[in-house]
Amino acid sequence: MAILLNKDTKIVIQGITGREASMVTRHTLCYGTPILAGVTPGKGGELVEGVLVYDSLQCALNDNPSINTSAIYVPPAFVYDAVLEAIYNKIKLIFIATENVPQKDAIKFLILARKNSVKIVGPNSVGIISPKYKMKIGAIGGDKVERCFVKGPVGVISRSGGMTAEISFMVKKAGFGISTAVSIGGDPFIGLKPLDLLKLFEEDIETKAVVMFSEPGTNFEEEVAQFLYEKKFTKPLICFIAGKFTENLPEDTVFGHAGAMISKGIGKPSSKINILRESGAEVANKFDDIIIILKRLLGN
Amino acid sequence: MARFTEDKIKQFLKEDGFPVNDFYVAKSINQVKEYVNNLDFPIVLKALVPLGKKGKAGGVLFANNLKEAIKNAENLFTMDIRNYPVKKILMEKKVDISKELYLSFTYDRIREAPILMVSSKGGINIEEIGDIYEYPIDTILGLNPFECRTAWIKTGVTGKLLTTLGELTSKFYDFFVKYDAYLLEINPLAITTDNELKIIGTLMGVDDAASFRQKKILNMDQIGTERYWKPLTERERKAIEVNEADPYRGTARYTEMPSGDIGFMCGGGGASLLLFDELLAAGGKPANYSEFGGNPTAEKVYGLCKVILSKPGVKGLFVAQNITNNTQVDLVAEGVVRAIEELGINPDNFPIIVREAGVNEERAKIIFDKYNIEYYSDEITLTEAAEKMVEKMKRFYKYGNTTE
Repeated sequence: MAILLNKDTKIVIQGITGREASMVTRHTLCYGTPILAGVTPGKGGELVEGVLVYDSLQCALNDNPSINTSAIYVPPAFVYDAVLEAIYNKIKLIFIATENVPQKDAIKFLILARKNSVKIVGPNSVGIISPKYKMKIGAIGGDKVERCFVKGPVGVISRSGGMTAEISFMVKKAGFGISTAVSIGGDPFIGLKPLDLLKLFEEDIETKAVVMFSEPGTNFEEEVAQFLYEKKFTKPLICFIAGKFTENLPEDTVFGHAGAMISKGIGKPSSKINILRESGAEVANKFDDIIIILKRLLGN
Repeated sequence: MARFTEDKIKQFLKEDGFPVNDFYVAKSINQVKEYVNNLDFPIVLKALVPLGKKGKAGGVLFANNLKEAIKNAENLFTMDIRNYPVKKILMEKKVDISKELYLSFTYDRIREAPILMVSSKGGINIEEIGDIYEYPIDTILGLNPFECRTAWIKTGVTGKLLTTLGELTSKFYDFFVKYDAYLLEINPLAITTDNELKIIGTLMGVDDAASFRQKKILNMDQIGTERYWKPLTERERKAIEVNEADPYRGTARYTEMPSGDIGFMCGGGGASLLLFDELLAAGGKPANYSEFGGNPTAEKVYGLCKVILSKPGVKGLFVAQNITNNTQVDLVAEGVVRAIEELGINPDNFPIIVREAGVNEERAKIIFDKYNIEYYSDEITLTEAAEKMVEKMKRFYKYGNTTE
């Protein structure tokens, strides 16, 4: 069944008339993923790549009551409002592409989402893809999706959007494919975290192993390690942790993504590597080792 | 993330009616002499650097007369506090303190909430004493005075001041929210000998992502940011200019390393971290960290590349990133080639490795090939690209033949 996206996914894009959203709409339709409607206040009645634009999410839902997933492509100042619009309209999965969402706003809508049992992926995510169902949301894969994302038994979780593609490419190079790949977003505060996704991957019969790409900062890996330690994740987990060099530089400095910051000793790559190894995960030293480990664990 | 010096924060606090003393900012000894006339002794002289723990670093001095004020100011102006040279001094009347409290707000990444931290043992040793009470705030409901009073009671505060303190703390939270701060620290918050509350030391950082609604303060000269641990170098400033010239078309960031010889021109927040690690693992020495992405213009790539190559001691260039989802790699090629050409670099005697795959790579290959630059798409992995770069440096500069 893959996770998050499958044959029952019905997508609307909030902010569809923007430059990036229109491009993503074109690529997504080309790949074969249907987009039922778009929303941009004041632009109701327009078409983007053949997709009808509505003035509000409620209008879009009146005509398309099956919509259950929203992709948010509005500027940072309007993300909070767009997320609330989606939550109020009972959307169950919200994907947020926008980068640079103020922390204050993110914390608030993440709490509201949790209270309403709504799943959020992002902010600052490049997308989610389930190749078997030809379902993708976001820019993930660009215009040549199959270069990196082919169907198969491996789940991918990545803090970095770009690395979601590169890891999936390594999986393909190893001779396998993807069940679902999720770019979780690089911001300090995000919706679904690696632990949440591992729980979903554990339940998914189509996923036989998971590859996870991590960066400095956060306690995501510590949460994952605890889950593994309690034997609640029973499939192979292959990890790679980037940014080991940042440990030798002063704390509280951001490298790359806004969320990549070691602070008060929390978030060090070396401690993430140790704790994951101790809990039974495979940790690749070199990025290339992912191929060797995958071949060893999944066979040929 | 913008960090401000204390004069700016005290100014904002004052505007909002918080109890702050009148203060002056001196940039020279002459100004110190001038402002002393407006203050009653004893006075405080504080180094204005965007950091906490200034007192501990010797950045806070007192003076009982003009002579002492001049001597201490001279002393401060020659100081570097954790890499920041002291260029400005805050001057205010010394407060007669009977007790020092500690108060701060931050966002806790693990609990995913703003956190109020209070202690009745404030002052310069707060970190060591550690006796801090933490209270997670419900962002939907805000922080009410009764919650603040409850928190202060836990730290042992009693008596008449409790009501005022509760209200003030709740107002501090409103201030923290109003300015989109990610950090607000008041240390010490003094109880004066007259039993009044007075803000003595402050530290604040504001979320850059909120710049669209915080123009007033983010347009002030900010000195510190979370992406640098020291004052910006000339090239780092230049890179920020390059990035901000066209803020909505991709990002280009640059952080200088103290040494190194490989110009590091890598894309992707995650890939750039990985590539830096892989260069080190292969025995390479990057001269800087960089990160570009989000489909930058050729102009932006050119600007970043020129900054990278202009650092003294850079003897090679490594251009690499993950297979892109949306970044047009032909624009990366255009920008890199333009910088190389303009600086008169010949790829035959200056090692360069490029690994750029993704959108429009066919055209990127043509551009790099034309200038005889060693180019790869996804036929090599990121690890292999880093290893090739280090091998090439070794070949050109004969590392490893350690005759010295």
